Amino acid sequence: MIYPILTLFDILLALTLLWLGWHLLSTEDIFKAVVLFISFGLLMALTWVRMRAPDVALAEAALGAGLTGPLFLSALRRMNRVLKGERRLDSDENRGEDHAKNPKPT
Amino acid sequence: MIPAEENMTILYNCGTVFLTVGLLFFLSGTVGLIRFPDIYSRLHALTKADNVGLGRIVFGLALQSGSLAVSLKLLLIWLLVMIASSASCHLIARSAMQKNIQPWRRS
Amino acid sequence: MNWLHTLFALILLLTIAVGVIRIFKGPTAADRMMTAQLFGTSGVAILLLLSTGMNNLVLLDVALVFALLAALATLTFIRRTWHDSGRRKHDYPL
Repeated sequence: MIYPILTLFDILLALTLLWLGWHLLSTEDIFKAVVLFISFGLLMALTWVRMRAPDVALAEAALGAGLTGPLFLSALRRMNRVLKGERRLDSDENRGEDHAKNPKPT
Repeated sequence: MIPAEENMTILYNCGTVFLTVGLLFFLSGTVGLIRFPDIYSRLHALTKADNVGLGRIVFGLALQSGSLAVSLKLLLIWLLVMIASSASCHLIARSAMQKNIQPWRRS
Repeated sequence: MNWLHTLFALILLLTIAVGVIRIFKGPTAADRMMTAQLFGTSGVAILLLLSTGMNNLVLLDVALVFALLAALATLTFIRRTWHDSGRRKHDYPL
């Protein structure tokens, strides 16, 4: 009784993974691509679980959900600022001003 | 006095009922996320699925597991998810208010 | 009776597959991020159900890592991406 259900689970997982991957590569809205990538990482962790590799799933959960998502979102913000021509946070003279006014960044 | 095996069966069936209720909450949360008209009501549906749905599933599995360590670990997972979900949903709602997104009205 | 847990996990995966619609449709960025958060919680529930369905208690640890890191993406999104519309006077290096 359990094996047909697990097979259905695998088929649905693979199809959703392919669909997400295709749309994440072909979409034009870059924020949508980031969110699709986070979902893709989650389903990838489930796929590793189904392949009976829970250790790889643990690494995928930590990297896919915990690290790359916030990294991509931060990079997105910095990219928007550079595109809009605002001042950049990584140049030292601008940082010095802010730190003189507010020595403790919140 | 209920014999031990029958006691386990009763616990198992109660756990199944809780699992079903949790699944229904997840289903309604997803339907709400897709069907509701604005961001605040979608947030409302999302938090119900997060807290209550996962809570019922965790409770059902803890009833069925029959071991204290597993039950405590399940409870820890639920607490962590609840902290994460309430914090981030509060932040999303506050940022939406600050960005002057108006709540939906029947017009 | 473990097939029931697997069936529930399958239904939850189905809700994830249907919920992707909101990522495509979502008018604001926060809608998309909320959907990702719902996926995280559904993923935790799927892992918990599969740990009974596949008789593998290690999956509880994977679910624990998921639950620990679930908030990070949304918090980063609020602090860095969504809140960046020029209302603040200062841009602190976070």
